[in-house]
Amino acid sequence: MIIKVISIIVLPLIALIIGFFFLGLSRKVIARIHRRYGPPISQPLIDVIKLINQESISHGKLFDMGVILSLAGSVILVLFIPFGGIAPLATSGDLLVIIYLMLLAPLGVALSGGEAANPNVSIGISRKMMLALGYEVPFLFSLLAVMTWYKTTSLVEVVKAQQSFLWAIFYLPLPAVAYFMILPAMLGIRPFDIVSAPQEIASGTAVEYGGRYLALTTIQHAFHIFIDIALFVNLFLGGGNLLTFFVKMLVVFLLGLFINAVFPRLRIDQAIKYCWKWPAILALVGLIIARII
Amino acid sequence: MQLITILVVSFLGAGIVYLTGKFSGRVRDISAVLVSLAVVILVGLAYNQKIYTNFYSLPFLNLSLSLRLNYLSWFFAIIVAGIGFLSILFSLEYIKDYQGVGFYYFMMLFVNAGMLGIVLSADFLSFYIFWEMMSWGTYLLISYKGGKAVAAGLKYIIMSVAGSLAMLFAIVSLYASYGTLKFSSLASLLQIASPGYILFLLLMFVVGFGVKNAIWTLHTWLPDAHAEAVSPFSAVLTGVLVRMGMYGFLLIMYSIVGLSLLHKLGYGLLNFNYILCWIGAITIVIPTFTALLQNDSKRLLAWHGIGQGGYMVLGIGVATSLGIAGGILHTLNYAVCGALLFFVVGAIEHRTGGVRDLNELGGLIKRMPVTFIAGLAGISGLIGVPLTNSFVSKWMIYKTLIMENYPFLAFAAFIGTWGTILSVYKFLHNIFLGQLPEKYKDVKEVPLTMQIPMILLSLAIILFGILPGIPLKVISGIEKSFGVEPLSTTMFGMPKEIGELNLINILAVLLVAGIVVYLIFSLSAKSRRVNQDDNYAAGLFVPRGKYQYSARFYDQAYRIIGPYLHDVVDDFYYWLVGKSKSSFQIVRQIYTGNINTYALYILLFLTLLIFVKLGWGL
Amino acid sequence: MDRGSIKKWLKAPGKMGQKYSFWVVYFCTGCGIIEIPPTITSRWDAERFGVIPVATPRQANLFLITGYVSVKTLRAIIRTYEQMPDPKYTVGFGSCPINGGMYWDSYNTIKHLDKYIPVDGWIAGCMPRPESIFIAVTHLWTMIDKGMATGYIKYREKYKNYRKNQEEALGKLEWPPLYPVGDKNE
Repeated sequence: MIIKVISIIVLPLIALIIGFFFLGLSRKVIARIHRRYGPPISQPLIDVIKLINQESISHGKLFDMGVILSLAGSVILVLFIPFGGIAPLATSGDLLVIIYLMLLAPLGVALSGGEAANPNVSIGISRKMMLALGYEVPFLFSLLAVMTWYKTTSLVEVVKAQQSFLWAIFYLPLPAVAYFMILPAMLGIRPFDIVSAPQEIASGTAVEYGGRYLALTTIQHAFHIFIDIALFVNLFLGGGNLLTFFVKMLVVFLLGLFINAVFPRLRIDQAIKYCWKWPAILALVGLIIARII
Repeated sequence: MQLITILVVSFLGAGIVYLTGKFSGRVRDISAVLVSLAVVILVGLAYNQKIYTNFYSLPFLNLSLSLRLNYLSWFFAIIVAGIGFLSILFSLEYIKDYQGVGFYYFMMLFVNAGMLGIVLSADFLSFYIFWEMMSWGTYLLISYKGGKAVAAGLKYIIMSVAGSLAMLFAIVSLYASYGTLKFSSLASLLQIASPGYILFLLLMFVVGFGVKNAIWTLHTWLPDAHAEAVSPFSAVLTGVLVRMGMYGFLLIMYSIVGLSLLHKLGYGLLNFNYILCWIGAITIVIPTFTALLQNDSKRLLAWHGIGQGGYMVLGIGVATSLGIAGGILHTLNYAVCGALLFFVVGAIEHRTGGVRDLNELGGLIKRMPVTFIAGLAGISGLIGVPLTNSFVSKWMIYKTLIMENYPFLAFAAFIGTWGTILSVYKFLHNIFLGQLPEKYKDVKEVPLTMQIPMILLSLAIILFGILPGIPLKVISGIEKSFGVEPLSTTMFGMPKEIGELNLINILAVLLVAGIVVYLIFSLSAKSRRVNQDDNYAAGLFVPRGKYQYSARFYDQAYRIIGPYLHDVVDDFYYWLVGKSKSSFQIVRQIYTGNINTYALYILLFLTLLIFVKLGWGL
Repeated sequence: MDRGSIKKWLKAPGKMGQKYSFWVVYFCTGCGIIEIPPTITSRWDAERFGVIPVATPRQANLFLITGYVSVKTLRAIIRTYEQMPDPKYTVGFGSCPINGGMYWDSYNTIKHLDKYIPVDGWIAGCMPRPESIFIAVTHLWTMIDKGMATGYIKYREKYKNYRKNQEEALGKLEWPPLYPVGDKNE
């Protein structure tokens, strides 16, 4: 019981540290790819400290509550995803719960931005929704392929089955590739940073955010990076202990970063069509294979 | 006796309300509320009882009309009575300025009574009588507003009559074969019937109930009817009246035919249940994505009514203990969410003068906060955000689909949820969020009698979302009566052997996380409250009301998926109507409308009779 | 650079954060904006100082007035400045915002920007090189350290005068005053 409580407290902190490390790393790595020197790895942390100490504006109660809901939703999601064998709440919710809990973060941001009454926010939300509709198709196909293959909806069971045998990526390479292809869309980074395109719609949902609102959104983004990559590692790369899990996450993240640092931004309709084409086809074929065998 | 009391109170009450309306409007309103409340209490008191009564024996045909109460009928009866009561309460202010209010209350109570009759009847004859009462009452209520509503009502009644006739056909054949129409005796008699006959029966009943439950290809009446009816009745329509079809499915499939017979129908994958599942899946996907294209708030919700019906059909189609429970639970959950959302639309209509166009509204959160919270609860429930009610029922349906190895059906259900998210978010955003147009500056919150139903239903959404054990207890009783292995449940979710779901833990960590985040939030530098029109606009100042984005909300997605979502079924029916019109021209030449011609026909017919008689006589 | 000094971070995290994370509002007011793209991209890389461009004034804390200020632009500059959250810093870039520069006799150019909004520092030159932006940024660090970059406080305290000057130049402003302008007795 005590171990459980401690892990409930510690796990979000680990996730936060890893998330911030990844955020800083991505800025540094992208800078190096651009042949720049880049900021220090702690730069996202500096930004958040600044933002917390900066004043901001609020448009109303919902404006505050939405941001809080968004971050809280991301924090609890961490507790359901096994991280190196630690999953304090895995018995309270399976993959289906995880899929649904992933809703809370965008819902919170959308509600909060909606009260700001800035059309840029509305455009950002509508783009987020459409992009989500785009990437959910291959995402669900890949998740269903894994669940059908292992005949379980529990993420812990999936990880356990992989540890005693080969990783799922060897049985289900196509869904894994499809998941990897839509990972930038889920993270909202280039070439899929359509939602927060600063040059087009003035950073979309975050247009009215400043100060603590932006700080919470940045923290939420750090959690979000952790969650999406940890889910990939759990589903296809067989989990692992604390160290190997982290190394696997790092590898996946860097691979994604190398590919995506050099791409320009897609338009929203191009992004939807892309998601519904190759990733969806690959994941669907993978699902059919998993269903038949 | 108890059941007869319930029916007598509800039918007689309707009449009394109509009569008192002749004298005083106020007395009529109060008595309508009291009658519907009395029905709720009477039904509530009948919980956990098993009753069977014969209330009338027909002097011919060797049939008797009888009533019964079991878990299944109690479950539906309490939904009917509850939603009926709340919509009457909601009507008090809403309907005030309409014509013929007395008639409206009478019909509302009458339709409610009809539905109670349906769920309480114990034989197909009384079932059919109450079914027709409900259908025709509904027709009158849909057309209540006049204008476009008349066409919508006509569309409804034509499809409904077609469905009822299919059902009548099956009922007559049952009587012809077995000489009885009692559910309990039929259930035992049908066990030795041939699979072909069972399939015929099921097909006829599926058509009959499918029209009501609006499964795909029989759904076209529903969007028009829901959009054109008055909002409190739309709530009844979507929440309970349409779900009478669901009751019918459960009755015929599990209560009468039974699970063991159902499994024998078909070869391999091509069996009755699997096809029903696929119909359910199509009913989910196409209507929810059609809802994405709607700009009329009620029409949008109406398409969701069809789509959510698909989840129920999918759930009971899988025919596992978990699936049936999920399907039945979703009936309750959708009744709560759907009714609530129609109340919200009704509240908006009431205050803005009947505006339903989503592109014209906006920013009403500042003026109608209670309605906004109700709307938020409603859409969360419809989506199935964790800790709201539909989450549990959808979880059960997904879980059983995956465990039974139907990943493609599960995918249809999942992607339907995403269609739901997109369109209901647009619904909420365009009505309540964004900038407040100048013309709605003085809009006020709705009166208390309209707030109470919305608040109660919002609370129900949260309550059933955290404590799904309450309805699931009744549902496992229903499953026991079906002869299905009953679902073992706990108060806060599912026991370990079924799956990992514990809502109280999710609630607890969400609360703790929320408090921690709130502490961080409130300890950081304060924010300044600014007016809504103090917006970033690239250094410009945009005056109030001119800075809104809501029309064509998902334009890029429409362009991709829009062309595939044309309602071909509706087109087909209209084509059929057009074709049959020309063939009816021939009939019209016989029925000229001239008295002389008819007299001639009578004369000719009599002569024919005389000739026949004479011919036989000779 | 004392970015790694943990002692200072613990002592005044807000101040240190402000120093090492300048988010510049992405707003081109004049021809000086042409120097910003090379500054933020590979050649000079402003990100290593923590300086990044952001899209909206709500997120920014550094406002670069890049180039001459026409009467029309002044309206947008004031609006943007008022939408930025405190603490915020303004730097005039190029000689035009200082005294009109080569437009010293134009009827349509604002000659003294600091009459309308407080300016914390100036970069002289026409055009200043990107390096001078970094010099300005490091100088601003020193000023923040010593508590000298107090333009936003000045704006709050003397808002009445600023508003008067603004209305003199632009006529009546459409938006309500940011801070109360009336006397306390009123």
